[in-house]
Amino acid sequence: MRRLACAMVLAAGLSGPATADTSSNRADAEATAHLLATLLDAGRIVVDRNQALIDDPHKGEKGFTAEAFERQLAREFQARTGIDLHRLHDAAIPTTAKELLPRLVEAGKAVVEDAQIVINQRGVGYKNFIPATFGSQAAARFSHRSSVTLKQTTLRPRNPKNQPDDYEVQALRRLGAQKAPSGAVSEVADGGRTLRMVTPLYYDKDCLVCHGEPAGEEDMSGYPKEGAREGELAGAISVKIPLKSR
Amino acid sequence: MGLFVRRAVLTALVRSLGLAAFCLMTGCGLVIDAVQLVQPIAKDEVQRICLRQRVQVGISVEPSRPFVFPAVFTDEGVRVTGLDVELIRELAAALSQACDGRAIEPVLHLVRFRDLFVLLNEGKLDFFVSSISANVPSPARSGLAYSMPYFMDGGLGGMTRRPETDAKISAEFGEADGSDPSSAVRAFAGLVVGVQEGTTAELYARMALKASRLLLCDSLPAAFEWQDPPIDVMLGKEPVLRFVSTRVKTDWRMLTRKTGKPLRLSREQYAVAMAEESYRLRSLVNAALFRLEENGRLAEMRRRWFEEPYAYPRRAASEGLPFAAEDMPAHYDQGRCRWRR
Repeated sequence: MRRLACAMVLAAGLSGPATADTSSNRADAEATAHLLATLLDAGRIVVDRNQALIDDPHKGEKGFTAEAFERQLAREFQARTGIDLHRLHDAAIPTTAKELLPRLVEAGKAVVEDAQIVINQRGVGYKNFIPATFGSQAAARFSHRSSVTLKQTTLRPRNPKNQPDDYEVQALRRLGAQKAPSGAVSEVADGGRTLRMVTPLYYDKDCLVCHGEPAGEEDMSGYPKEGAREGELAGAISVKIPLKSR
Repeated sequence: MGLFVRRAVLTALVRSLGLAAFCLMTGCGLVIDAVQLVQPIAKDEVQRICLRQRVQVGISVEPSRPFVFPAVFTDEGVRVTGLDVELIRELAAALSQACDGRAIEPVLHLVRFRDLFVLLNEGKLDFFVSSISANVPSPARSGLAYSMPYFMDGGLGGMTRRPETDAKISAEFGEADGSDPSSAVRAFAGLVVGVQEGTTAELYARMALKASRLLLCDSLPAAFEWQDPPIDVMLGKEPVLRFVSTRVKTDWRMLTRKTGKPLRLSREQYAVAMAEESYRLRSLVNAALFRLEENGRLAEMRRRWFEEPYAYPRRAASEGLPFAAEDMPAHYDQGRCRWRR
């Protein structure tokens, strides 16, 4: 569970069955979905980088505030996409993305803000504020306030709410069968009304502290380890985005 | 003329008011009934809980594992868990039944242990559950009433980091048990003894350990941090210290008697605390606890929190309760220690 941040492969080449009406509408939705998944993963990476600070039992006020999170998030996102979150109006990205990215930033900040009372507890080490729990909450809050659904999922989720639906199961199986890390898969679904995108997350060394071997042994949050190895598919960020009707 | 008109108006006004008052007096029962239809008036504390569909419950922010674990973050947000939290769920279920099946939501207030008493006295809590000893008299707890106990095997114990300290204390007690006050004075003489402020451990230490250096700490984690000089013996709830020394701070060991059994300095029973005049609520809580004891649920709860191997973050995620976060900012720091004055 801890460190499920792992490496997200950028969707350099989006694959998946193309529909006949491949259009700028779909391209915009794909670009938006990709940017949202990247931003959520960037948030997870920021939490992961601050894990030692967050789990420091000797320090009360840690300074990992919503504002500090936002600054680090903006840096990480810019490093991965070249896009400055503070100058989205200048960026060559779809209008929907310009509207949705700040909302996801706000959702992430709200999660960090709410977690302050846990993060700043002195005398307590592990607090379960980890990339996975951050990601679940940020995705849920964002989805609650927009028409886009953002979700972390995997074939064997620890949280039943992260159970994959049929499309996600197929996508995860397809991604898991790849010999090398691959990009996101996407598809127009729901009679052309929705774009689905599943962006893979792969285990890195940090992930294996809780998800590695021996399989079945309990990790620090009480879940049995998956027995995973570095580079294996850990799960995915799934985005469901409505396509504009013509 | 003007005077006449004013007098006539005044007379009419007095008559109208008199008539209105008369109507209200004869039909005041009807008026009250009508008001109650719109805004029912609670007759007792249980009805008040039913009306607001929430029960305000206090819980100590200082972790007393496994009764209360530190708050953690989960996929659902911040949560708190432990035996006391599971008990609160059961009591909220009993209240829901008493409120004709209307779901009663427990609203948890995680505050400093000492503030639980203040909030209860101010009427901001309906009750609190924090492994409170029901059988230790103290003027600081006047106005409080306790339910029947939900945990019988409580009491004071101690732990130390050094085997030689354990051996010294054990030798001083000799054949005597922990209830012997003169042995206690000798056994702890000259030692730095840490206790959580406001708890029965402080009451005991102030009364019995006259020759010790008493350190008052806001919490157990604060006591663990204290190094100036390090604490020789930590006194506190024996079940909590036992849990902590076996699962969390394994470099600490429980104080023992010559027989090898744990040294107990008192026997305590833990109960739910309420305002003295909350008669109906207390009856309801007692009935719920009696039922839980009779059907084995309480025993099962004690077993799963004290004996089963588990990691509390997972339990917090699946069965923990949220809490009123606005109460926490002033309290999230685990506090500090200071010498007895």
